[in-house]
Amino acid sequence: MIVGEQKPFDEVWEMVKGHKQLTVFGCNTCVAVCHQGGNKEAEILASLLKMRATQEGVDIEIVDGGIERQCEHPFFESAQEVLKESEAVLSLACGIGVQFMAQKYKTTPIYPALNTTFLGDVQEDGYFTEKCQACGDCVLGVTGGVCPVTRCCKRLFNGPCGGSTNGKCEISKDIDCAWQLVVDRLEALGKIKDYEKITPVKDWSKDRAGGPRSFKLEGF
Amino acid sequence: MTAESEKIEEPKGLETPQDIPDGWQANIIAFACHYCAFAAADLAGVMRLSYPANVKVVRLPCTGKLDQIYLLRAFERGVDGVFAAG
Ligand code: SF4
Ligand code: SF4
Repeated sequence: MIVGEQKPFDEVWEMVKGHKQLTVFGCNTCVAVCHQGGNKEAEILASLLKMRATQEGVDIEIVDGGIERQCEHPFFESAQEVLKESEAVLSLACGIGVQFMAQKYKTTPIYPALNTTFLGDVQEDGYFTEKCQACGDCVLGVTGGVCPVTRCCKRLFNGPCGGSTNGKCEISKDIDCAWQLVVDRLEALGKIKDYEKITPVKDWSKDRAGGPRSFKLEGF
Repeated sequence: MTAESEKIEEPKGLETPQDIPDGWQANIIAFACHYCAFAAADLAGVMRLSYPANVKVVRLPCTGKLDQIYLLRAFERGVDGVFAAG
């Protein structure tokens, strides 16, 4: 899922304080799982902004709302009215949702309330870790299910480097060495021989090197 | 029944910082669980114990019903403190 973190409150306030009307709009899928951008968080942020407006003597009408996903047209149906009436929208979606809305509502300013941080998992309640960088050419099949693009700080494909110490990466004792994890996992799978195979130079044209990517299904 | 004058209204306009007037009392809202804290308050009432009039009690079926937004809405409407009991 996509993980995001709410921007500092003062930064959000500075973005929106010049408007007379603002809709604080949640996205109830990925960013709701990390408790940063769901419809509930939109309600809370709207309340905090109302109190800030009161404290500063600024007159803004603030309403809140949200939908299940801000990156797909059909989900917007239930919110057409409120969004059409909005002078500005503070979106709690990831960067994808914010851009999707900006494209959809051409004359309405759409502000991001979140910093979109990474594609990750939920290790435990409230703890999210980065796992994939959408490189476009997945190598997990040969690395025992550990992503070297994301989890090796140097993105090595034939690791580890000389900095790997006691299973930790040289950049921080809190970061596991991805290549230690690859080796451990290949051992557990009984495939440690595969570690000897040299991975050829990766085709980065499938990553961001070729500009923004798209994918079209035939027959739709 | 709450008297009209005791109701906590939506703010009518923008609030500006003011000096604290003499005799000012904090406006407190208490969210109390029906089964324990509210029952205790009820018992206190039966025992003729009094509590200050600046505390308003809202009964919840359980304090698990309490949501962040209840607290925030109370503050938005000018409540000075929230007391959750359960
Ligand atoms: S190899 Fe590429 S696609 Fe596979 S997990 Fe890593 S970044 Fe994602
Ligand atoms: S120590 Fe491990 S994770 Fe860190 S850069 Fe070297 S190989 Fe990659």
